[in-house]
Amino acid sequence: MVFRPFRTSLLVLALLIPAALGAVVLFLAIYAGDAFTFNGLRFIFGTVWDLGNLYGNPVTVRGVSVPLGAHYGVLVFIIGTLLSSFIAILIALPLSVGCAIFLAEQVPEKFRPVLAMLVELVAVVPSVVFGLWGVAVLVPFIAKDIGPALSATLGFLPFFAGGDTGSGYGLLAASMVLALMITPIIATTLLDALLQVPRENREAAFALGATHFEVVSKAMMPMVRTTLVGGVVLALGRALGETMAVLMVSGGAINILPHNIYSPVSTIASFIVSQLDSAEQDPTNMAIKSLAEIALVLFVITLAVNAGARLFTTGVANVRNAK
Amino acid sequence: MHFKKKLSRSNLLRGGVAALALAAATSMATIARADTVTLVETGSSLLYPLFNIWVPAFTTAHPGIQLTTTSTGSGAGIAESIKGLVQIGASDAYLSDGMVAKNPNMLSIPLAISAQSINYNLPGLDGHHLKLSGPVLAGIYSGSITKWNDPKIQAMNPGVALPDHVIIPIHRVDGSGDTFIFSQYLDKSTPSWHNSVGYGTSISWPAVQGGLGANGNPGMVSAASQNPYSIAYIGVSFKSEIAKAGLGTAELKNASGDFVMLTHKTVSAAAAARVGKTPKDERISLVFAKGAEAYPIINYEYAIINTSQPDAGTAKAVRTFLTWALTTGNEYKYVSQVNFLPLPPAVVSLSKAQIARVQ
Amino acid sequence: MSATLNRPRRTGHERRRTLSAALGWAACALALVLVIGPLLDIVYVVAARGLSAFSIGLFTTVTNGTGGGLLNAITGTIILSLGALVVAVPVGVGAGIYLSEYGTNRLGSGIRFLSDVLTGTPSIVLGYFSYIVFVTWLGWDFSVLAGSITLAILIVPYLARITELALRQVPNNMREAGFALGAREPTVVFKIVLPMAAPGVITGILLALAISVGETAPLIYTAGWSNYQWNGHLTNSPIGYLTYVIWSFINEPSDSAHALAFAAALIVMLVVLAINIGVRLVVRRKKPG
Repeated sequence: MVFRPFRTSLLVLALLIPAALGAVVLFLAIYAGDAFTFNGLRFIFGTVWDLGNLYGNPVTVRGVSVPLGAHYGVLVFIIGTLLSSFIAILIALPLSVGCAIFLAEQVPEKFRPVLAMLVELVAVVPSVVFGLWGVAVLVPFIAKDIGPALSATLGFLPFFAGGDTGSGYGLLAASMVLALMITPIIATTLLDALLQVPRENREAAFALGATHFEVVSKAMMPMVRTTLVGGVVLALGRALGETMAVLMVSGGAINILPHNIYSPVSTIASFIVSQLDSAEQDPTNMAIKSLAEIALVLFVITLAVNAGARLFTTGVANVRNAK
Repeated sequence: MHFKKKLSRSNLLRGGVAALALAAATSMATIARADTVTLVETGSSLLYPLFNIWVPAFTTAHPGIQLTTTSTGSGAGIAESIKGLVQIGASDAYLSDGMVAKNPNMLSIPLAISAQSINYNLPGLDGHHLKLSGPVLAGIYSGSITKWNDPKIQAMNPGVALPDHVIIPIHRVDGSGDTFIFSQYLDKSTPSWHNSVGYGTSISWPAVQGGLGANGNPGMVSAASQNPYSIAYIGVSFKSEIAKAGLGTAELKNASGDFVMLTHKTVSAAAAARVGKTPKDERISLVFAKGAEAYPIINYEYAIINTSQPDAGTAKAVRTFLTWALTTGNEYKYVSQVNFLPLPPAVVSLSKAQIARVQ
Repeated sequence: MSATLNRPRRTGHERRRTLSAALGWAACALALVLVIGPLLDIVYVVAARGLSAFSIGLFTTVTNGTGGGLLNAITGTIILSLGALVVAVPVGVGAGIYLSEYGTNRLGSGIRFLSDVLTGTPSIVLGYFSYIVFVTWLGWDFSVLAGSITLAILIVPYLARITELALRQVPNNMREAGFALGAREPTVVFKIVLPMAAPGVITGILLALAISVGETAPLIYTAGWSNYQWNGHLTNSPIGYLTYVIWSFINEPSDSAHALAFAAALIVMLVVLAINIGVRLVVRRKKPG
């Protein structure tokens, strides 16, 4: 093979991205160190996070020095992360599809750039500003209106039931903020794809007597399904790792699993921010090592999501190529 | 454990990166004013407002010292002071025995006295000072007392029409000195809490259905004001916010069995009870002090200081600032802005003795 | 057969079709309102509370405790963000070029995959990584360099992806024409492909800039905070930035702190929105053929 300096230097630059990721994972894994041996599988399946008595003398458990009573279980946060992101996608998907279709098909070309821009701008609002707004506007709105309304209309479903719909802080607030933050990601990728559907395909559908809406929903949407999945995955990546805004509106549950959509939750990312400080007071460092371990868990989750999506999209692409 | 070994192996890399950085840094035309010393403070969000009141006054009096303050949390204050990232770590809690054993040259120096109020949102009763005790609060926060008209609460408040409503206990999500002193009150007053939960800047809150986490003291105030029938613990520097939100403030049962309100007088009484017991290294809890007038939830606010500073100039600046904070800075006109109390003279001299060790 | 021919004999089936179409359009319009509405509300809430704190002093004096101005934070944010771009643009754009031009193999899809994973990494984790590695191990302390590199790691995957997408839109026959004229790979990339994709790449860079301006979590443990103007040292000297003011001053009891927090939020939001709007106005979305 011929040595091509240009290509190689570009490849080196490109490889810096996996290298950075590798460095992050490697350093966290080294740093977590004996947290793996101390925590074992209890880490994943435990629901109790207890730093132990930081003011007592450390004890030696399983060959490792830890504060008395220390126990690190992160199931609550794993479930909080997955649930909030999943519900966010459930909310964001119809919103983005609606936005994209409306912008592509109903808005006159003159106004489309302006409206599309407004949708995109939702995604660029800094997380901490979203959090400010969530606390000031969204949370009270959920507590007073959305929560009770959902409970009244969807109360027959197990996850929506609950006479008391809580304070507004919780799973629903976190999911709604996340949904707003990711809708533009899905909507813009979808809009681009819809605008690229060849005129012939649309006209063929119209010629068959389809209404305008049927042209969009039955002829165009199936053509952009792969792009839609790609957008959703990108969005999911952002939702899983979102930190500040979620921290501010999620109600910060610890040691308790959400029992309905109004329950307080914690996500892995927001939990790391809120616990980092206390963990630094642990003289044995086990708390901070366990936080490094929970960060690795989040890596594995994003890795799995991306891998799953990759399998799915390549599968679709293969079907299409076979045609 | 394997960390150190790996690191030395990659010393080459480290050297390379550092050299690059150094080259870049020196190539920048920098004019460092030799006569200015920069001090950085980080840590406790409870002490932070007081530092911010101090900064303008101190830097005016000592123009040669630049002082930057940041609010990160007591844990960060301790950790970063130990690592030498900052010169002054601020903490609501003194260093634990484990920390002192590991870092014998770290000092815990009290700078002021803080306190905490227990607040509630009870429609119709917010103007009334409910009486509450450590065991009752422990019951509420561990889920064994779930309703406001629970017999245990009613027994302390005869004649008060307590609502038949579920209590929403609100706790801090972030690590905080408020959680530290609140859980210490429960720990010292309630054996079952001592045996199950204990105390710390972030504790393993028992699972209480309907319980709520909030972020920072402002989060506590807003969560309490938005949730009728909730209860919260809030730092005294937020007194005016608590009043603005219209929350009720509880009288608390102290170690002598008396119910006391949070006032300057009761905080001073509690401090006076513990001043004589304060050891040379000043690591002592003021929570749940004896005395009929003593308010149970108060604490020293600490500066966490390394005795060996990088150079003599920095050490002198640290001593200058700490001494200023204990004298001019402890004047009532400064500390009262955040509803703190000045340190008693006996404690000031203990602190000064510790400051002298900073070299 | 057009709809007009059928009008006299409209069947129930057809009425259902037109009705469901109308409902469908209404739902789509509602979705648009539900997304744009909150944005306008956020802008309104922040502007209403932030504008009251605006004064000349806000832009000319440094922070003093939780009072004073925001000059140090404004310059700090500019320095940190530009520093991040200096590191990230060569890497991100280079990686994007590789992925678009030569990345159709397994290696390319592997890099793309890991880049997506890096995008999904919470910024606090990157911040903590940098704290362990740059701030404590390399001994840089809180510094411009530690903060900028952390931001760079954060925005590189975005840059790579946007560059790749922009380059992919350049029609292949442009490349082929270049090669047919005897041009070599670097010439084709830098003289033909990149200029044609420049609007897309510049968009990506500006968007990355907007991301760095708005980030908080990765800087708390890497850049630190300073009440004073940056002293020119790349390492061992903390630096202020605007999002710190938002995140931290909002937690303070004094009104001046809250005013500064909202003023900082307003500045950050205006900058971020201005970049995004400016990009879109200058670089008109090209209508795909």
